[in-house]
Amino acid sequence: MNKVVKIDYLSRVEGEGGITIKIKDGKIESLKLDIFEAPRFFESFLKGRYYTDVIDFVARICGICPVAYQMSAVHAIEKIFGIEPEKPIKDLRRLMYCGEWIESHALHMYMLQGPDFYGLESAWAGREYLEIAKTGLRFKKLGNQILGILGGRPIHPVSVRAGGFYKVPDKKTLLALMPQLEQAYEESLKSIKWAAGLPFNNNIMDMEYISLSHESEYPMNYGSVASNSGLNIQMEEFLKYFQEYQVEHSTSLHAGIKKDTSVSSYMVGPIARLNLNYDRLPEEIKTAVSESGISLPIKNTHLGIFARAVEIAYAFLTSMSIIKDYEKPDRPFIGADPCAGEAVWITEAPRGMLIHRYNLDSKGYVKDCTIIPPTSQNLSHIEKDIYNFIQHNLDKPADFIKKESEKIIRSYDPCISCSVHLVILKG
Amino acid sequence: MKKPRVGIFKLTSCDGCQLSILNMEDELLSIIDLFDIAYFREATDRPLKGEFDISLVEGSISTDWQKKEIINIRWRSRTLITIGACATSGGLQALRNWSSLEGYKKYVYQSPEAINALSTSTPISDHVYVDYELWGCPISTHALSETLVSLILDRKPVIRKYSVCMDCKKKGIPCLLVSKGEPCLGPITLTGCGAICPSLEKPCYGCFGPKENGNIESLLRMFKNMGITQQECIMLLDKMNTYTYRKVRIEQSS
Ligand code: SF4
Ligand code: SF4
Ligand code: SF4
Repeated sequence: MNKVVKIDYLSRVEGEGGITIKIKDGKIESLKLDIFEAPRFFESFLKGRYYTDVIDFVARICGICPVAYQMSAVHAIEKIFGIEPEKPIKDLRRLMYCGEWIESHALHMYMLQGPDFYGLESAWAGREYLEIAKTGLRFKKLGNQILGILGGRPIHPVSVRAGGFYKVPDKKTLLALMPQLEQAYEESLKSIKWAAGLPFNNNIMDMEYISLSHESEYPMNYGSVASNSGLNIQMEEFLKYFQEYQVEHSTSLHAGIKKDTSVSSYMVGPIARLNLNYDRLPEEIKTAVSESGISLPIKNTHLGIFARAVEIAYAFLTSMSIIKDYEKPDRPFIGADPCAGEAVWITEAPRGMLIHRYNLDSKGYVKDCTIIPPTSQNLSHIEKDIYNFIQHNLDKPADFIKKESEKIIRSYDPCISCSVHLVILKG
Repeated sequence: MKKPRVGIFKLTSCDGCQLSILNMEDELLSIIDLFDIAYFREATDRPLKGEFDISLVEGSISTDWQKKEIINIRWRSRTLITIGACATSGGLQALRNWSSLEGYKKYVYQSPEAINALSTSTPISDHVYVDYELWGCPISTHALSETLVSLILDRKPVIRKYSVCMDCKKKGIPCLLVSKGEPCLGPITLTGCGAICPSLEKPCYGCFGPKENGNIESLLRMFKNMGITQQECIMLLDKMNTYTYRKVRIEQSS
């Protein structure tokens, strides 16, 4: 039986993309994620810019995760300058990242992916679901409030600079968030149960996943790069293992990880983080995970929403503990003179590892740079995932395959606006 | 009363301005009550159909198909509003306007011939008539709700036209330009943000674009007297509103 399944324009994802699947004689002939988001050439216009501009510019790659871009960039720049911020600054940056994880995850869980499990076209298409969506809006608002306090505004915050922040908040300002955080944390524990009880597909598969891994904390800004198949390397080595390659069933360029003589696709994001760093979670979150009935490691990417729920609870809890321990530092940043050098830094964006490499000249201007967003890394894995699903559902009607494929794509929370950095665009 | 049909469209952009709509957590439910969100790819599956009372457009024009797309959107829309620096001013990606596209493509992509992009990124108003322009990277949600409410009430939206400096004065923020000699674009930049950067002791980098009749040349002269080179001055203007700052500067000098 021959069929063509085509989605022209994916909805409830960030950015513009589609998918085309051709099935011929009971076999998948081709499967291709089409990315038609227009490229913006960030790496090109960053060339020749002063390092301070880099932090303002890279945020504009993505309106949903600007903090991630600023974090990878600022740490790479600090590494080149040979400076390391003081503990309160590190903590505030972690708090900022918590705000972004909360805002981005809540958006995805409640507004974008959630409606899939209720057969709805949007978060506001059903009265009953609207009540669920309101929880998400409360989470999102609180995440945005954290970003507002630390960064001036939630989208494209302005406060991060090499060595620290332009200005840091008083403890009192942060403490004012505590009552809401406590309430939201309780609610987020319930939302782990809600997510665990959603009707998932049974698309279980073997996969390779990669995330940062840190000796004492759940990874955000620091760590080495680890995978479930034994990879454990320093950040700066990662680009040696990373490779773009071509696959038969697709015409878009894929990102993979080199192993001996072969290259294979891998996944980054909340599932990868949770599977690899469960040990680093505080006991009370671990308990919530084990009580949810979902067992780790997660082998079905459709459960992304569950991993996000766990990370939201973790982010609320961490925010509270950072605020409790916070003492305002004497100076908001440590100064540094620009110098020439090259550095790679990776942080954990809401959607997974975000890799930045900068090469600066002696005055602090960019000579060249590389930016590899999480979705670029996941595209290949998404295709593999859908391939695996269809393989087991070849006899199903085209409409079913279309709907389910769209759901699989959505469960990765792809950010196509970011991903245009790596893929070849269709004409 | 029939709810106004609203369409939200995306061209070349970062999604941040559309996200601002979803970030109006407290107002979102009333927006949904007051308006029929008939097209919003980022949040609903509803297909593109029919005409719109209000269209909000995010993003600049940077590919061939977008030139056709924007004409299509204009045909379908009674009122067209651009949201953000990309749509209103070409965005950060308009920096390519002053370089060679071929060089740009080669640097980012392995197979540059496969990339379909225009050599420029331009604001929507260069292509079709625009009823209202909202500035900012990202827009202020306050300006957006003011505009939407005005359209419902059939009155003209009140969007303030003064500079970021006025916000500093109102809020009693010490001036970075005067007291610290930092190159702040506040005097020539449109209000809207409430002086976010100066309140965090960072000079304004002009994300809301030029204010009407702001004297760009005299501010740059002041910067030069502070020891900032000509090249650095240009880079200060060449950010998310590069296209408009450069345009206004040429207009002012002629
Ligand atoms: S104006 Fe700024 S925030 Fe809005 S879409 Fe463009 S880059 Fe994003
Ligand atoms: S800090 Fe900047 S925006 Fe504020 S008054 Fe001074 S020049 Fe104007
Ligand atoms: S102060 Fe200037 S750069 Fe900062 S948010 Fe306001 S307009 Fe944008």
